[in-house]
Amino acid sequence: MADFIKQNAGRFFANNKKGENAELLADLNSEYRDRRKDAVKRVIANMTVGKDVSSLFPQVVKNMQTEDLEMKKLVYLYLMNYAKSNPDLVILAVNTFVKDTDHVNPLIRALAIRTMGCIRVDKILDHICEPLRKCLQDDNPYVRKTAAIGVAKLWDLDQERALENGFVTILQELVSDSNPMVVANAVTALAEMQESSVSKDIFVVNVAIMNKMLAALNECTEWGQIAILTSLADYKPMDAKEAENVCERVVPRLQHANGSVVLSAVRVIMIFLRYIRSEDFIKGLIKKMSPPLVTLLASAPEVQYVSLRNINLILQKRPDILQNDVRVFFCKYNDPPYVKREKLEIMIKLCNDKNIDQILSELKEYASEVDVDFVRKAVRAIGRCAIMIDEASERCVNVLLDLINTKVNYVVQEAIIVIKDIFRKYPKRYEAIIPTLCQNLDSLDEPEAKGSLIWIIGEYAERIENADELIENFLETFLEENSQVQLQLLTATVKLFMKKPDQSQEIVHRVLETATSEIDNPDTRDRAYIYWRLLSTNPEAARAVVLSEKPPISVETRTISPALMDELINNISTLASVYHKPPKAFMGNRAFSADAVKKAAAADARDEEQIIGDAVLDASGAPAPKNAMADLLDLDFGSSEPAYTSPPVSSSKPANNSGPNYSADLFDMSTDMSGSSGNVFGGMGGMGGMGGMGGMGGMGGMQQQQTQHQQQAPTPARNDPFGDLGGLGGFGQPQQQQPTKPTQSSAENDLLGLF
Amino acid sequence: MIESLFVLSPTGKVIIEKHWHELIPRRVVDFFNDQVSKAMAEGEDVTREDVLPIIASPKYQLINVYRDGLTYLSPVTKEVDPMMVFEFLHRIPDIMQEYFGQVSETVIKENFVTVYQLLEEMMDDGFPLTTEPNSLKEIVPAPNILNKVITTMGATTSVSTRKMPHGMSNLPWRKAGVKYNSNEIFFDIVEEIDAIVDSTGKAVSCEAHGTIQTNSRLSGMPDLTLSFVNPRLVDDCSFHQSVRFNKWESDKVLSFVPPDGHFRLMSYRVNLPSQQNLPIQVKPSINVGANGAKFDITVSLRNTDGKPVENVVLTLPLHKSTTTLTAQCNVGHSEAAANAGYNIGVEFLINSHSLSGLKVDVLKLFNESYKPYKGVRTMTKAGRYQVRA
Repeated sequence: MADFIKQNAGRFFANNKKGENAELLADLNSEYRDRRKDAVKRVIANMTVGKDVSSLFPQVVKNMQTEDLEMKKLVYLYLMNYAKSNPDLVILAVNTFVKDTDHVNPLIRALAIRTMGCIRVDKILDHICEPLRKCLQDDNPYVRKTAAIGVAKLWDLDQERALENGFVTILQELVSDSNPMVVANAVTALAEMQESSVSKDIFVVNVAIMNKMLAALNECTEWGQIAILTSLADYKPMDAKEAENVCERVVPRLQHANGSVVLSAVRVIMIFLRYIRSEDFIKGLIKKMSPPLVTLLASAPEVQYVSLRNINLILQKRPDILQNDVRVFFCKYNDPPYVKREKLEIMIKLCNDKNIDQILSELKEYASEVDVDFVRKAVRAIGRCAIMIDEASERCVNVLLDLINTKVNYVVQEAIIVIKDIFRKYPKRYEAIIPTLCQNLDSLDEPEAKGSLIWIIGEYAERIENADELIENFLETFLEENSQVQLQLLTATVKLFMKKPDQSQEIVHRVLETATSEIDNPDTRDRAYIYWRLLSTNPEAARAVVLSEKPPISVETRTISPALMDELINNISTLASVYHKPPKAFMGNRAFSADAVKKAAAADARDEEQIIGDAVLDASGAPAPKNAMADLLDLDFGSSEPAYTSPPVSSSKPANNSGPNYSADLFDMSTDMSGSSGNVFGGMGGMGGMGGMGGMGGMGGMQQQQTQHQQQAPTPARNDPFGDLGGLGGFGQPQQQQPTKPTQSSAENDLLGLF
Repeated sequence: MIESLFVLSPTGKVIIEKHWHELIPRRVVDFFNDQVSKAMAEGEDVTREDVLPIIASPKYQLINVYRDGLTYLSPVTKEVDPMMVFEFLHRIPDIMQEYFGQVSETVIKENFVTVYQLLEEMMDDGFPLTTEPNSLKEIVPAPNILNKVITTMGATTSVSTRKMPHGMSNLPWRKAGVKYNSNEIFFDIVEEIDAIVDSTGKAVSCEAHGTIQTNSRLSGMPDLTLSFVNPRLVDDCSFHQSVRFNKWESDKVLSFVPPDGHFRLMSYRVNLPSQQNLPIQVKPSINVGANGAKFDITVSLRNTDGKPVENVVLTLPLHKSTTTLTAQCNVGHSEAAANAGYNIGVEFLINSHSLSGLKVDVLKLFNESYKPYKGVRTMTKAGRYQVRA
């Protein structure tokens, strides 16, 4: 029964389909031209919506021989679509194609050769060569220009054949054609072929070709101009004079309504600027580039996006461009977020002591928008302005204080994060605002904001009357905090202890004990151990480490390495310039060295978060240069090794005491060490952009190293961090003791047991 | 190289696809739709417009333009000039607009064959071919009804299917042998004002973007020179291909042999100073209380040379959480709908007025003996004009 229905249903549909196709079939064979044309149109419409009309192939193709151009084109459309699935049938059409390439009407000749090239079927290749050769040498420029692209199509399918038939040579000759459109298409085809060629010698732009291209540049279509400008960028000028000459010829292209023409012209100019020596000439060019770039910002958002990413690059290379145009980068409230972010970046790059007030009032405006992510970026931008422009820092701080007073939670948190950076840049200048910051203590729930405020409290503990209370307040939730906050709390508490030892001895003791005994995170725990040991062996050394001079913070507005920068400038107006990565990093040939990708990605990341210090707040997650750090550790500890060979006079003390004692020399840190350790840590803090928290950053790096070491080390190390540390330091003593030590459950015991 | 195009409906379905080079499987559209919905799920305020125009996929870079509900998606496999792709993708709806009067899913479906033909003519093997509307209209006839209208209006004087396309004459943009009984040329100078105005009425940024749309109905090969009273106002400009750039550089005049029919002669930008007298003043006064807010917005006219301001629309988007709202107007009418932030979008239109002050002086004709009629109209309207409250 079911079978019966199925059969019937099948027959019904088949009939139906056959019905429609049969009708079309009849119409296609009709003696009336209009009817046939109408039928072909219906066939195309069916084809477009995905119905199978391939069975009509012979009938449709029969209509190819017609004087009606529209009809011909419709049939061609059909052919292109079904050629792939019916390669045998295409041969039916070949004769008509070949005949059409001899037609008196150049339009039909061009159309035939164009369509033949689009039928990507091997069988047609045998028939295309002769007509293509004829068309390449046609009297009519329209046919020649169409044939030029035809060579690229053939090349794509069969490079051998294109070479054997001498098409490449003919195409190279077409670059000297009298008609600019032919030149442009020849350049387009050759550039495309060059890219996929093995020998890379198909299209090398020399002086002669360059002059031909420049001559054609003004007369061809916008798309031709893009092709020519793109190829021009590959030319290496012989001297400054020639580079100036090319720039002069290219400058008028900046005045084009097509954004791609404008950016392609900008690319040529930016590349050729490298060869030009005359300062005045360079200035003139830069001045001419600004207005067209500004105009691009009135285009569609997508075009704005590409423009802004490129302007960002250009500004890093030539900071003197667009100096008076910061207004055009102000955000409209309905700009898409991706446009707003890019505009913000450029506003900061353009920020100087003259326009800072304008920019600040804009940024303040943005801070009241609804897009939280954008608001945060705006607040952060205020901090970056403060760090960039010394004279304006006070105004920036005032704006930030205004924002803190809005009590909008995420604004307050973000503001506190950037104020920490401002404190680092201008130590001791804005202490007066600390009370205001502390008033917002309770509203902080983000680790980074908390960490920032804690850092400020620790750093300025001596100026904050109730610093111990504040720290105490934070410590209540110590164990629940994110590791980033825990690390900050540890450091801040130690700082507090050093600055106000009387008030905080109890606190610091408690924190270190909690951190070493109750926290599993090796970063936090190990940092606590290190502080503990430092404090107990040599408070002076501890002071040198914890309160060391922090490396200066700076806002990097130009974060791309010069080599990558040059490569990106070469790629203005490409996807590379949008991603700010070299083309190989994200496209096609992925056999790109992982290092370079990482480098590019890191550069990009830095570009996004440009306050270097920020990146390393969380030392445990920071991509620190580990090897350098390891070397440093090995080296310096190694060099101080002799110091440890002296008998550990006081090392027995803690064993006598019931608990850890700060005055006790847990480690035999000899005087020799106190001198060198300061240097070690100081040096580490400054090393490799660890920046983050100065001395703390250094410690973080060291811990990271240790963590890594720990993971590699066999099990005892897990319970025996100090033994591990000792091992790291390269002194024999703890290592010798390790085997004698049975594994103990408590870290504290372990610690004592060491000695 | 622009290899393929997918036009997607508002729901992400493929309306039409065209492959100029190799076939790119439709799977890519699914990936794209996933990425779009992922991006839009990131926040409640994220709209389709906010999605990045370039999205990376493992194999393709998905370059897309979203316009009027439709997505024009072009996946590329090789390094490409994204600006060129965007320019090209925007041309597609532009040209459909020219052909069909509007662009929508239905319109495309009704005109499949024409759209297909257009896409074929606009691109050859991934390289843009013919994108000039005037030239296209000669190769691909507009749909019948419109065609009829054009014919009755007498716009197509000598269209025959056997004629050479533009690209084949000495001046690629003008065909030979054009003949009109009455020779006329019309210039429409339209200025759109982009401005950000702060709550005190001071312009934070303000510029005029002007275009000169031209309709040329002149016989033969007229060589025109158009001069302005005050061309130095212009800060940046771009021209139609026909305009001789050197003449502009040296004499600040537009010298050109016009194409036949409609074309954009020039677009220009004029930076307006912040003390610029804007045509209308919008004074917002906002009082936010615990249980609601009151917005008083006063609009008054300023400096329009006595010209009336028409079609004034104020948009005050409110936050999504707004529950009820009432709106009252002294003049005109109001519609209430909730949406975010205190920014007021302003629209208006002033006929026979140019805010930048650019004025056409004389039009001279060479190379032909007739005396053409010259019509100039100016209009100023709000572009992206916003008042901050």
